[in-house]
Amino acid sequence: MNALIISALLGVVMMFSSFLLKDRSTVRSMAIAGLLLLLVVNVLEMNGVEFFNINTRDMIVFDRFALLFNTIAFLSTLLYLLLSAKEMAKVGVYFADYLALIFFILCGVILVSSFKSLLILFLGIEIISIPLYILTGSDKRNLKSNEAALKYFLLGTFSTGLMLMGIALIYGAQGSFYSVDISKIAGETPSALLIAGMLLLFFSMSFKVSAAPFHFWTPDVYDGAPTVFTSFMATIVKAAVFVAFIRLFDEAFGLLHLQWQLLVAVITALTLFIGNITAVFQQSVKRMLAYSSIAQAGFMMLSLYAMNADAKEGLMLYVAAYSFATIGIFAVLIKMSDYTFEGFNGFAKHQPLLAATTTIFLLSLAGIPLTAGFLSKFYMLKAALGTGKHLWLVIVAVLMAAVSVYYYFRVIQAMYFKEGEGQPMEVSKPFKWTLVVLAALIILLGIFPNILLSWLYF
Amino acid sequence: MQNALQIVYLIPLLPLIGFLINGLGRKHLSKSVISVIGSGVVLASFAISIWVFLQVKGGNTHEAHYFDFISVGDLKIPFAFKIDQLSSLFLLIITGVGFLIHVYSTSYMHEEKTEHFGRYFSYLNLFIFSMLLLVMGANFVIMFIGWEGVGLCSYLLIGYWFKKTEYNKAANKAFIMNRIGDLAFLIAIFWLIQKLGTVTYSEVFTAANLAKLSTTDISVITLLLFVGATGKSAQIPLYTWLPDAMAGPTPVSALIHAATMVTAGIYMIARSNLLYSLAPLTMDIVAYVGLATALFAATIALKQNDIKKVLAYSTVSQLGFMFLALGCGAYTAAVFHVMTHAFFKALMFLGSGSVIHAMGGEQDIRNMGGLSKKLKITFITFLVGCIAIAGIPPFSGFFSKDAILLSAFAKNPVLYGIALFTALLTAFYMFRLLFITFTGKFRGTHEQEHHLHESPAPMTIPLIILAVLSIIGGFVGIPEVFMHGGDKLGEFLSPVITNHGEGHVSHSTEYILMGLSTGLVLIMIIFAWFKFKNYQRTEESGLGKVLENKWYVDELYDKVIVNPLHKFGGFLNSIFENKVVDGIVNGVGRAVSYSSRQFRLLQSGQVGNYILLMVGSIVLIFVLQFFLKR
Repeated sequence: MNALIISALLGVVMMFSSFLLKDRSTVRSMAIAGLLLLLVVNVLEMNGVEFFNINTRDMIVFDRFALLFNTIAFLSTLLYLLLSAKEMAKVGVYFADYLALIFFILCGVILVSSFKSLLILFLGIEIISIPLYILTGSDKRNLKSNEAALKYFLLGTFSTGLMLMGIALIYGAQGSFYSVDISKIAGETPSALLIAGMLLLFFSMSFKVSAAPFHFWTPDVYDGAPTVFTSFMATIVKAAVFVAFIRLFDEAFGLLHLQWQLLVAVITALTLFIGNITAVFQQSVKRMLAYSSIAQAGFMMLSLYAMNADAKEGLMLYVAAYSFATIGIFAVLIKMSDYTFEGFNGFAKHQPLLAATTTIFLLSLAGIPLTAGFLSKFYMLKAALGTGKHLWLVIVAVLMAAVSVYYYFRVIQAMYFKEGEGQPMEVSKPFKWTLVVLAALIILLGIFPNILLSWLYF
Repeated sequence: MQNALQIVYLIPLLPLIGFLINGLGRKHLSKSVISVIGSGVVLASFAISIWVFLQVKGGNTHEAHYFDFISVGDLKIPFAFKIDQLSSLFLLIITGVGFLIHVYSTSYMHEEKTEHFGRYFSYLNLFIFSMLLLVMGANFVIMFIGWEGVGLCSYLLIGYWFKKTEYNKAANKAFIMNRIGDLAFLIAIFWLIQKLGTVTYSEVFTAANLAKLSTTDISVITLLLFVGATGKSAQIPLYTWLPDAMAGPTPVSALIHAATMVTAGIYMIARSNLLYSLAPLTMDIVAYVGLATALFAATIALKQNDIKKVLAYSTVSQLGFMFLALGCGAYTAAVFHVMTHAFFKALMFLGSGSVIHAMGGEQDIRNMGGLSKKLKITFITFLVGCIAIAGIPPFSGFFSKDAILLSAFAKNPVLYGIALFTALLTAFYMFRLLFITFTGKFRGTHEQEHHLHESPAPMTIPLIILAVLSIIGGFVGIPEVFMHGGDKLGEFLSPVITNHGEGHVSHSTEYILMGLSTGLVLIMIIFAWFKFKNYQRTEESGLGKVLENKWYVDELYDKVIVNPLHKFGGFLNSIFENKVVDGIVNGVGRAVSYSSRQFRLLQSGQVGNYILLMVGSIVLIFVLQFFLKR
C-alpha cells in the first residue's frame, strides 16, 4: 500500500512540476529521488512497516509475491531512469509529463500485481494502457510514432472490450468479482459461461503480453514508439501484466487448470515459434528486440502453463533477468543513430565497456550459463517438465532458445568481429557505471538466484 | 550460542584477499610489500588453523553453515565448512608448509620483475585458497570447486614462465590429465545426487543413506572417485603430468606437486572412508594401482639425472604408497604418510631449489658433485630428508612407512614383499641423488664453481624448520609395540576415520618386519655410497636406458592416444564437419530464414488485418474448446 499511494502522489507532483520547474535536471533528479523513495517504502513494507492502512475490502492484497515483484519493478524503473531519463527529454518538450505518466503506470503496475478482484485488474490494466498510448505517440512530429499510437490505441481498445466482456460473463456465472469466489466451482463441471469468460480474459491478457496470435501490435508499436518508451513498455509493463496473468489464472482459474493447460501449451509454442523465427530475419536491432520480446514472452508463458512452485519462482527470476538485460540493451541502443545490425559494426573498438556490458545482456537474453537468463530459462523448463505432460512443449522451447542464440549473437558478432566506423555518441561516466551495475546484477543473479528468490519465503 | 568455529571462513578468506591485492596491485606494489602480504595472509591463516586445531583437539568439531550455494527443487547444496579432526590436520599442513614455502619464495623468486613477482604470489595465494576450500568444504561440491581451483592454479604456476613453449605444453598436459580425472569425479557427484539427493558428508555417510546404495552404486561411485584421485594424485595411468610439472618454479613444485595438491586424492578417499570400506573390489583396485605406481615410479627414479625429476618420480612413488595404505584400509597410515611426506618432500624440493639456485639454474646432477662443502646447511637438511624418506628410525618417514608396510603385510604378504622392495629402491635412488650431488668432485664449469654459495636466510630457515619436522614429525604416531598409547595421531583421527580390515600382526612379527626393513635399507644406502661416492658419467644402455626414458610411457601415450586424436580431429574437421554438420546446419538455417520471410508477410501493418486474424483465432479456439473437446 505504501508504494501505491506514494507513486500516485509522485505522479501528481511531477505533473505540477512541469509548469512550476523549468530546469529539466531538477525534474529528473526529483523523479529519481521519488523512485528511490518508492523502492525504500516498498522494501520497508516487505519488512512489515506499513504507513497507510486503508480498507480495500480485500480487493488488493500485498502478499510476498506482489511486494517482491514491485521491488523488482521499481529497481528496474530506477535503473531505467538513471540510464535513459536524459533521452526522454529529447523526445518532446513535456519532459515532466512523461515522468508523471511513468509514475501513473507504476500505480497500475502495483494494482495488477496485487489484485484480488477482477475490477482492480481491469482498473490496473487501463491505468497502465492509457498513459502508454500517450507515450507511444509522444514524438508528435514523427509520423511513425503517431501511427503506432493510433494502432496501439485501436487494438488495445479491442482487447479491453474482450476483457470487459469476459469479466461480465464471469460475473454472470459466479456472481462475484473476487478471485476467491470465482474459483469456487465446488466439484461440479464449470458452466459454459464461466469457461467463455475465462477464455475472453485469456485472450485479452495474451494480447497485453503479446502472445501469438495476439502479438501483431507488438512489432509495429515497439518499432514506432520512441525508443526510450519502447524500453519501458517491453520490460516493466510487460512483466507486470505477466504477474497479473499468473495471479489471475492461479487464483481465479487454478481449479480449471486442466481446461486451459493444453490451450496455453499451444499458444506458448506458437508464441515461441513466431517470435523467434521472425526475429531471425530482422534487419533492425530495435525490431529484432521487439520480436525477441515476443519470444521471451513465450518463455514466460511456460510458467503459466506449468503453474507450480517452480514456475512462480522462475517467473520472478525471469522477469528480473529479462527486464535488466532489455533495459540495458535499449539504453545502449538509444544512444545510437543507426539501429541496423551494421550500425553495431566495430562497436567494441570504439566503446569497449558498452560493448562488453551489451554482450552480457545479450548472453543473458540468449540464456547462456552464468547469467541470470540461463537460470531463469532453466527454472521455466524445469517447471514445465514438472507437470509431467506435453514433453513436446519443452522440446520446442529448447529448440527455439537455440534459434534465439543466432540473432542475439549476430549483434555480438557485429560488435566484435566486424570492422566499422563506429557512431559518434556521448556517453557519461554515470551512464557507464549504471550499465556495469546492471551487468553485475545479471551475473550475480546468475550465480546466486537465491538472493532474490529467498525473499519469496520469508 | 554460536560455535566459536563459525569464524573459520577467515582461513580461506585471508589468502583470497592476498590474491586480490597482489593480483590487482602487482604493477603498483613493491616486491617487499608483495612478499609481506603474500606470506602474511598465509601466516595469519596458519595461526587461526593452530587455534582451530586446538579447538578440535579439545573435542569441539563444527559444521559451519553460511548460505545455500545451490538450491534447485529438493536439492540443496549449502556453502558450509566442515571442521573436524581430518580437515583441521590438513589445515595445519597446508597453511604451515605453505607459509614456509611462501617465505622461501620471497628469496627464490627475487630476480623476477616486480609485476611477475606479484603474479607469482597472487597465484600462490589463490592456490592456498583453493586447497583450503577443498579440505574445508562440507560437501563434495565445495570440494570439487577447490579441486578445480587447485587444478587451475597448478596450470597457471607450471606455465608461470609462459614465454617458453615447452613449459606451456607441460602446463597443458597437467591441466588436461587432471580434467580427465575431474570428469570422473563430477560423474560420481552426479551419481550421488541422483541416488541420495545430497552431497553433504554428514548426510551421505550415515548408515541410513549408505544402506540406500546398492553394491553396484557403491562400487561405481568409489571407482569414479578413485579415477578422480588418480588424476590429481598422479597415479597410473594419469601420472605423467607430474614429472613434467617440474617446469614451474621450484617452490611451486614443493608446494603443489609434493606437499599439498597431490594429496587431495588421498584426502578425498580418507574423507569417504566409510563408503570405501563398503567396496572391497575398489579397495583392491586402489591397493594394486597404488603399489604398481609406487614400484613403477621408483624404477624410473633410479636413472633420472634431473634433480627435480628424481624428486618428482619419488613423489609419484610415495603417493603410490599412500594409495596402497588406503587400499589396505589403513586410512590413518595414509594420512600419517601425507603429513610426514609433506615435511620431507617439501624439504627436499626446497633443498633442490637451493642447489639449483647455487648452480645458476643447472638441474642436471651429472654436472654437480661435491656441493656439501659449499652448501653446508642445504646438504645437512637434504641428508635429513633422505634419511626420513628412506625410513630409518627414528626419523618421521620410518613410522609412517612402517605403518603402511604393516597394513600391506596384514592384507597380503606378497603386497608387503613388493612394497618393501619399492622402499629399498626408494632408499637407493634417494641416496644416489644425494651422493652424486653432494659428494665427490665438482663436475660443472669453472664459472659455476666460482659462483657456488649457500642460499640466503629466507631460504635456509624454512629448510631447517622442515628438517626438524622431518626428524620429529613421526613421533605423533609411534606404533603400539614401542609405546602403549603412542599412536596419538590414530587416536586423534579415530572419530572420523574407521580403519578397515586391519589384521592383527603379533608383536614379534612386527619387530622382525621392522628390523628387516631397516636393515635392508641400511644395506641399500651403503651400497649406494660405494657406487656413487665418486660418480663419473657413463652412457646408459639396456634396461638402464629404458628406465632413463621413463619406460617410454610418454611416447606410448603420444602414439596411442595423442596422435590418433589429432588425426581423428583432422578427419572430423575435413570430412564430417564440412559435409555433414555444415549441411545440416545450413539446411536448418535456410528453413528458418524461409519461414521467417513467410511470417513477415503476416505483419502487414494494417490494423484491420490484425483484428481479423485475432478474431479468426478466437473463433477457432472457441470452436475447439466447446465443440471438439467434449
